[in-house]
Amino acid sequence: MSLRNKSIVSKLVETGVTLLLATLVLFIIINLAPGDPIRILLGTPEVASVNNQVYQEKYQELREAYHLDDSILVQYVAWMKNVLRFNLGDSFYTNQPVIIELGKRMPATLLLTIPAIIIQLTLGIGLGIISALKHNKTIDNLIRLFCVFLSSLPGFAISLMLLYLFAVRLKLYEISHTVSLMRLYLPTITLGIISSPALIRVVRSNMLEELGKQYTAFAIARGVKKRAVIRGALKNIMLPIMTLAAHSSVNLIGGSVIIESIFSWPGIGKYALDSILLRDYPVVQGYGFLMICIVIAINLLVELGYIFIDPRLKRPERKIRWGG
Amino acid sequence: MGRLKVNKNPNLTIFLGIFILIMIVISCTFANAIAPFSPIEQNPVDRLKSPNLTHLMGTDQFGRDVFSRVLYGGRRTLVAALLATVVNTLLGTALGLIAGYYHGKLVDRIIMRIVDCLVAFPFIVLAMIITSLFGTGLVHLLIAIAIVWWIPFARLSRSVTLKYKEEPEILAAKVAGASDVIIMIRELLPRIFSPAFILATFKLGSLILSMSALSFFGLGAKPPTPEWGSMLSDSKAYFFQAPYLIIGICIFIFFTVLSLNLIGEGLRDKLDPFEIIEI
Repeated sequence: MSLRNKSIVSKLVETGVTLLLATLVLFIIINLAPGDPIRILLGTPEVASVNNQVYQEKYQELREAYHLDDSILVQYVAWMKNVLRFNLGDSFYTNQPVIIELGKRMPATLLLTIPAIIIQLTLGIGLGIISALKHNKTIDNLIRLFCVFLSSLPGFAISLMLLYLFAVRLKLYEISHTVSLMRLYLPTITLGIISSPALIRVVRSNMLEELGKQYTAFAIARGVKKRAVIRGALKNIMLPIMTLAAHSSVNLIGGSVIIESIFSWPGIGKYALDSILLRDYPVVQGYGFLMICIVIAINLLVELGYIFIDPRLKRPERKIRWGG
Repeated sequence: MGRLKVNKNPNLTIFLGIFILIMIVISCTFANAIAPFSPIEQNPVDRLKSPNLTHLMGTDQFGRDVFSRVLYGGRRTLVAALLATVVNTLLGTALGLIAGYYHGKLVDRIIMRIVDCLVAFPFIVLAMIITSLFGTGLVHLLIAIAIVWWIPFARLSRSVTLKYKEEPEILAAKVAGASDVIIMIRELLPRIFSPAFILATFKLGSLILSMSALSFFGLGAKPPTPEWGSMLSDSKAYFFQAPYLIIGICIFIFFTVLSLNLIGEGLRDKLDPFEIIEI
């Protein structure tokens, strides 16, 4: 087995373990919550307006049906088995399967977040590199000012101001609950912009560090063209940039909850927030599970990308000579 | 050619940040002397007035002066955020130090596994889940923060420890018979101090931002105690009528976080102890 395949296998195993542990943590948090889920489901005896005998029987029956008297690990295994059959439980409010409710709203969220991630990466990497190349010039100072300003304001405040400006003052944006391209541009651009500063800053400092290294100085002294020097430096910072880009996309997904609620964009983030305020636990749990999967998948993709980019892992294991 | 300077004059940045921060802390601490009105007394005649000379930031739906409420509210918000940051800094630094010192051993693997597994939760999602299940309120919000906020500190202190633990001084201390605890506290901890402090200033700022966002959606502190978050969620319903309610609070949040970011950036550029990634 080549070193590359070996790394891939070990990464996959590691990711599987992390996924199991993270979902276990989610499961435990939800089970630690005060309140009896069956009472929430049935209502208290008065509310359910049945006599006590029937209520007790039904109560016991449901407790057994949901395995609530077993140990938490047994419950977790039962839940996981259901999850593997794409069954995340039913919503308390609509009685629809959670997976269908989430699935219905997924396209809206993807429509919002994918262009936003593209905007974020373009701004982050582009402005970060420009800022590093022109460091301590006017344009660099402007970009840094922009970053400091944006990262000191709450995201919801920026979104609200833009909403007020575009919807109330300029009348360019329609406030409604529908999904349409005309309603997409503002939330997408906002989301992309408010999540870019951290990336810009890190790309800038990585690039500056690379440009300050001796090999760059030597290349310049040798008369290598500026363009080639920059290309070389860029190649070297690709790996850290990839990790940071992945981290910031994860942040962006968290931030989409805020944007979706403010712009009343009917995606899963807004649905999750509404469900939280309604105490619709199965939906909250399902949403948490989905988010964990997305984050872990992004991290896995980055790690695999590392393995494919790193040339040292290309050759079969036995031919590798470390050092002399 | 040397290392490229990231910032021409970090001293100015630090000074500016400290100046703004001190102004805010003083005005919140002495709110009872500075605030022109009572933060809780209702005055229905003056409800939802836009900013004017008497009411610098206007009045809210009960006719209370927003400026006074922001000053009083700042106390609670700032103290809560500071407390959470201090606890998480200490916890994260200690765990990272232990993990780094016993690199590759069981303790390290357990700590790093916990880190990996908690990193899989987007913070805002985790905080939403916890506050929804255990009830909204400042305490639950702080618990949610405490679960994940130590992670960057643990990572930082682990990597600093890994960087320094093979240094000659530390090996010498070991040869001289110093115990692991002594080496960790006397030799390694002082080296972690300045990067952890810089990270903490950044994190304090982003904590205030996250708290305000969660409170804005009704997951933070409850009214009627004036607190920036609860004021935000109260003002939400009046946003299109009276946007100045939210703007007033956001100005204070902005300057607080800005001052912390300036101090953090300035210190980082000046001391440049270790690469700090604040994502």
